[in-house]
Amino acid sequence: MIHLMDIVVKFGDFEALHNISVHVKEGEFFTFLGPSGCGKTTTLRTITGFIEPVSGTVSMQGKNITRTPIEKRNIGIVFQSYALFPTMTVHDNIAFGLKIKKLKKEEIERKVTAIARKVDLTDDQLKKAVSQLSGGQQQRVAIARALVTEPAVICMDEPLSNLDAKLRVQLRNELKKMQKDFGITTIYVTHDQEEALTLSDRIAVFNKGYIEQIGTPNEVYNSSATEFVANFIGDINPLSAGIAEAMKLSPARNHFIRLERVRVNAPAAEGVYETEGIIESREYYGLYIKYYISAAGQTIKVIEKNDGIRIYEAGERVRVAIHPQDIMSYDRKEA
Amino acid sequence: MQGTLRGKSGPNFSLIYKVFGGVLFVYLFLGFMVIPCLNTLTSVFSAKDASGQTDPFAVIRFFLAGSMPSFVWNSLKLAVILVVTVNLVGISIVLLTEYFDIKGARILRLGYMTTLIYSGVALVTGYQFLYDSNGMITKWLADMFPEMNRQWFSGFRAVLFTMTFACTSNHALFLRNAIRGIDYNTVEAARNMGAKPFRVLMKVVMPTLLPTLFSLTVMTFITGLCAMSAPTLLGYNSINPEIVRLAGSTTADEAFPQARAALLSVILALFTIVLLLFLNHYERKGHYLSVSKTKAKLVKQKIQNPVANVLAHIYAYVLFIIYMTPVVMIVIFSFQNWSAVRNKALDLSGWTLSNYFGMENYSYTRSNGKISTRIGAISGVFANEKTVGGIRLSFLLSALAAALACVIVVVAVNYIFKHRNKKRAAIVEGCLLFPWLLPTILICYSYRTFFNDEIWYVFNQNLYYKENVRFLIVIAYAVVKLPFALRMVKASFYAIDEELTDAARNLGASNLRTFLKVKLPIVLPSILAVFALNFNALFTEYDMGATFQKSEGTTYAMVIQSMCNEEGRDGMNMNASGRRCASTVFIMLVSGLILYLVYGVGARDLSERLAIRERRRKRLAALRSRFTKRSP
Repeated sequence: MIHLMDIVVKFGDFEALHNISVHVKEGEFFTFLGPSGCGKTTTLRTITGFIEPVSGTVSMQGKNITRTPIEKRNIGIVFQSYALFPTMTVHDNIAFGLKIKKLKKEEIERKVTAIARKVDLTDDQLKKAVSQLSGGQQQRVAIARALVTEPAVICMDEPLSNLDAKLRVQLRNELKKMQKDFGITTIYVTHDQEEALTLSDRIAVFNKGYIEQIGTPNEVYNSSATEFVANFIGDINPLSAGIAEAMKLSPARNHFIRLERVRVNAPAAEGVYETEGIIESREYYGLYIKYYISAAGQTIKVIEKNDGIRIYEAGERVRVAIHPQDIMSYDRKEA
Repeated sequence: MQGTLRGKSGPNFSLIYKVFGGVLFVYLFLGFMVIPCLNTLTSVFSAKDASGQTDPFAVIRFFLAGSMPSFVWNSLKLAVILVVTVNLVGISIVLLTEYFDIKGARILRLGYMTTLIYSGVALVTGYQFLYDSNGMITKWLADMFPEMNRQWFSGFRAVLFTMTFACTSNHALFLRNAIRGIDYNTVEAARNMGAKPFRVLMKVVMPTLLPTLFSLTVMTFITGLCAMSAPTLLGYNSINPEIVRLAGSTTADEAFPQARAALLSVILALFTIVLLLFLNHYERKGHYLSVSKTKAKLVKQKIQNPVANVLAHIYAYVLFIIYMTPVVMIVIFSFQNWSAVRNKALDLSGWTLSNYFGMENYSYTRSNGKISTRIGAISGVFANEKTVGGIRLSFLLSALAAALACVIVVVAVNYIFKHRNKKRAAIVEGCLLFPWLLPTILICYSYRTFFNDEIWYVFNQNLYYKENVRFLIVIAYAVVKLPFALRMVKASFYAIDEELTDAARNLGASNLRTFLKVKLPIVLPSILAVFALNFNALFTEYDMGATFQKSEGTTYAMVIQSMCNEEGRDGMNMNASGRRCASTVFIMLVSGLILYLVYGVGARDLSERLAIRERRRKRLAALRSRFTKRSP
């Protein structure tokens, strides 16, 4: 569907993207994930045509669109700020692209009404100014405006970042449902790993203008390709040299374990590394509890499901167990 | 090749448009800004002595040897003292209405803000009406204190008094905004740490106002230095009235008047340039910005000391009376008959509309006992040919100039934003800000002298000749207002989210369509505000009108100034003072209406407009249903 091949983007002397190659499949929900300044938005803007790469090609449905003008790419965009025109009504915002295509008035009305239905916007809301809508409704207008021209691909640049936590979760689910209903190929940019994991079919993890890993949410979480990916997706414990030695792990590599894989007071098992520890403190999250345990000369973070039966107190002695198969090891990078 | 941020999907302007636009811009900048002013500068050094030889330093020698430095000194004295008095009154009115809890603050604010609709020559003549030797208030004071000098309202004192209250509009607007922007949590924090209210005011509140106050001080200084209408009407020998006098003089009357006028203009320009560069340098240091994530709204401070509280209230209301008395009196006297206005004594049986509408004859007994009738000796604003002519001309020229300034600036700002970070954008911006460095009088004087000749690049026309002067006035008005328009319009363009432009382009809109359908509607309220403010200022503008004074270019302010000439002589022009009052009321109405339209109606966003439309629709529907129910 969309194919980026060896894309290099430079701003002056600064190289923002270094030979990026990605293939997004038809109907896929594909996410660009990474911290601020890693190049994910630059990649998106290269696809949409706002940025012209120094080298490399952007292809869509087998056609090279690297030099194709923005408006001729047939790509819809939902902006971070939604970019809804404040001087137009909701209806006029959605109809804007159709008017430019010089469609007949009746056809514009039909298309606007149809898309409004699909994204749950009422006739009353269509008559309103965009400032009169809530954040969630504004997002629907932005999606409707991007979809009404029937683009082949839709790109979303952190569309949930302006919303409060509860609404984010709610709209995240709606977004996924909408994407499935429309069956449209979607490229989504976010720095929120939870959002990426819950929404995506596949994720590309960006770092400093490179792609560190492309994979399904399960692959990037459980089989993180690099130390950066392991660190960025979820939380991990770096293991001290003492533990690594006791577990006979290679001293030439860095070793990590995810918080939920560390077991507390679990029944003894063969081949499992065990050590004594003291609960330093705990954080109560409701669904689960996070413990900070002092063990083997380091602080190990552990997440335990809150079963309501056994909650450890600070100062309590516990046994900490690490299974060798849960260890994630990466080559040590030269400074 | 390097990766670029795409500015456009294809060529947005054809080469012809680009070249044409560039050539036009250079033509206007050089032809109407640089060359006329350079001509003024060179004329200082090209004066000829009695033998006809060019003597480059003749004017400067004349300046140093004669009385000319006294004009500069007088202007400087006025500017310096004005800075103190205007700041004193300006800070007072803002603190009294926005910071301290003074009873009736809303009414007080309205009074203090009257200078927004009542300024310039109208205000000066209004003050004259009250305070000159037989003015109402002077008479009233003289009855109480018979020993007082009834001529107190003339010269420096009168100019200072008038300008002190006339020049607080900027304080009322900008200092008010600054004080409203203060984070109240900082006040609470200081109080919490034990600071007394006065200490909080001096140590927490005032320092945050300092940058605004500094800018206001520089602007006030320049206003004082370039004062025109008050010194001219109240008789004070400062630079600007002298330039206008010299510009109209000839070598037959005195030594090289034009070159002297040019020298005074250049001196004024030098002062202005130094001050503005100083201001610019200071502004670059930045302002104090609140670092609060959640700003708390300022809560008005009650003055705890009862004596101080009473004194503050008395001070507030005394200021209110000073601001409001001329306005109220002018309105009242605009409805009084000519004898009441001329005697400056209210006549409860002498109400009339003749100062506004219609024309009446005046009969009087001559010294030989015969009765003479002067046809149309009493005429209203809208019946008097000269006044209507002045209104019409000023209305047209101001509207044209304000619109021209807006169009130039909008096109330029769009260009500047498209090419930001590029040198050519900075050059365009610099050119449009150029008139800011020059005093209005220098620009007008330069126009008057330079274009009073056939100039090749304006198709060999003399632009100061007959009706051509109107074109010159429009250009001068527009040029003078360009820097203000640029600053305001540029600020409004910053409010356009770049993603809106991206969205429009993504949806297939061309550059022109994006500008007309997306950007322009967003900045339109600001553009209209700039248009209205410029129009208001130009409609009653005095300085330029006086410099270009000519029968074909007699603007409204000049009509007002000359309205009372020969009032009542041989039964002519009987109600000139009353008509002047009515003219002032008309100006206040026009200015007030424009400010209401811009800030009241024009500032409504789409949601407010839709809500009003919906209310109107419902009301109409209710009316219709009532009507249909009643009909059989």
